[in-house]
Amino acid sequence: MAEAPVGVDEQIRVLLQVMAGEGIRKAAEGFSGMLGEELSVSHSQVVLIPLVEIPMLLGGPEAESVGIYLQVHGELGGQMMLVLPYQKAMELTDLMIGAPVGTTTHLGSLERSALAEAGNITGTFFLNTVASLTGLGARPSPPAVMVDMVGAIIDIIIAVSGSVSDHVLMISSSFLRGGREVEASFWVIPDVATLEAFVKHEAEYDRG
Amino acid sequence: MTGDSLTVGLGEVKLSRDPSDVLVAYGLGSCVGIGMYDPAAKVAGLLHAVLPEHNNGADPASSKYVDSGIKGLLNQLERMGADRKRLIVRMVGGANMLTAPGFQQTLSIGDRNVASARAVLANLNLRIRAEEVGGNVGRTMRLYVCDGRMTMRMLGGQEREI
Repeated sequence: MAEAPVGVDEQIRVLLQVMAGEGIRKAAEGFSGMLGEELSVSHSQVVLIPLVEIPMLLGGPEAESVGIYLQVHGELGGQMMLVLPYQKAMELTDLMIGAPVGTTTHLGSLERSALAEAGNITGTFFLNTVASLTGLGARPSPPAVMVDMVGAIIDIIIAVSGSVSDHVLMISSSFLRGGREVEASFWVIPDVATLEAFVKHEAEYDRG
Repeated sequence: MTGDSLTVGLGEVKLSRDPSDVLVAYGLGSCVGIGMYDPAAKVAGLLHAVLPEHNNGADPASSKYVDSGIKGLLNQLERMGADRKRLIVRMVGGANMLTAPGFQQTLSIGDRNVASARAVLANLNLRIRAEEVGGNVGRTMRLYVCDGRMTMRMLGGQEREI
């Protein structure tokens, strides 16, 4: 495994984990408000992994997947992506629109719109949480939904961040509604300036 | 022939003279796969490059970049007995995966990768025999070491020779 990039030490990973846990919890609240029914999130796990290992975590680089991509601009910068295998994306669509399992059989414009909203809510609530914890503001771009080989989808993240960072912060979570559960991976790729801001914030926080 | 598949991952180059090997770059999006084969020396190499040009501070021999990666691939092939005059060169990938408005920065990476590859190959007097580039779809590229055949497959599609 490659070395972690400078500035992403254990302390920052823990800080990001706190932000991620809180951010995902807030995102679930946002979903619940939109759906009018409780949707919760469990099993949030945060790992820092080399970009090149991502395809293997998602069934291999040729596996058909759905990526919901957002860029982050402002005092914080970076990229966010919600990624699911194609079948799981259809299950999440059913979950989002309150349809029985198996209702969604393809991802047309309506279904992609529902998935875009899932990415939008997850990203926005995550950023709001980070902003409230750090005092640093950021705004997400509109979400873009892609369906293709997971290797090709990941190229977007690498094309933007590949020259500055070889690692990605991956938050793996399960969305639950009633007795149903859909697991999704939510990736956050902070840019270098944002990591430096986290380090600075953490140092100031420690000094009290 | 089924052969042994050797995965060429992001920013990697792999070479082989074992006729049972198949070099494979899976899921190329904006990345480009560049395959080279010498039919006389029967050696093959495949590059999976990510970004168009190596920047200041980057390893000048890195295969992550199209420019340094092509030169590295060529050097390694020549060390294995290949002659650049005989090399058959094919290229796959360079798609623009994000077509939604507001993502101009990422829109051009695939195009820039392809442009960089064409320029570097031209400078090295290497002609591209065939290419499957651009668009907004991911592709998998295979290079069969036994005969230098190169193929391309898109999601849900059949593997076909290029």
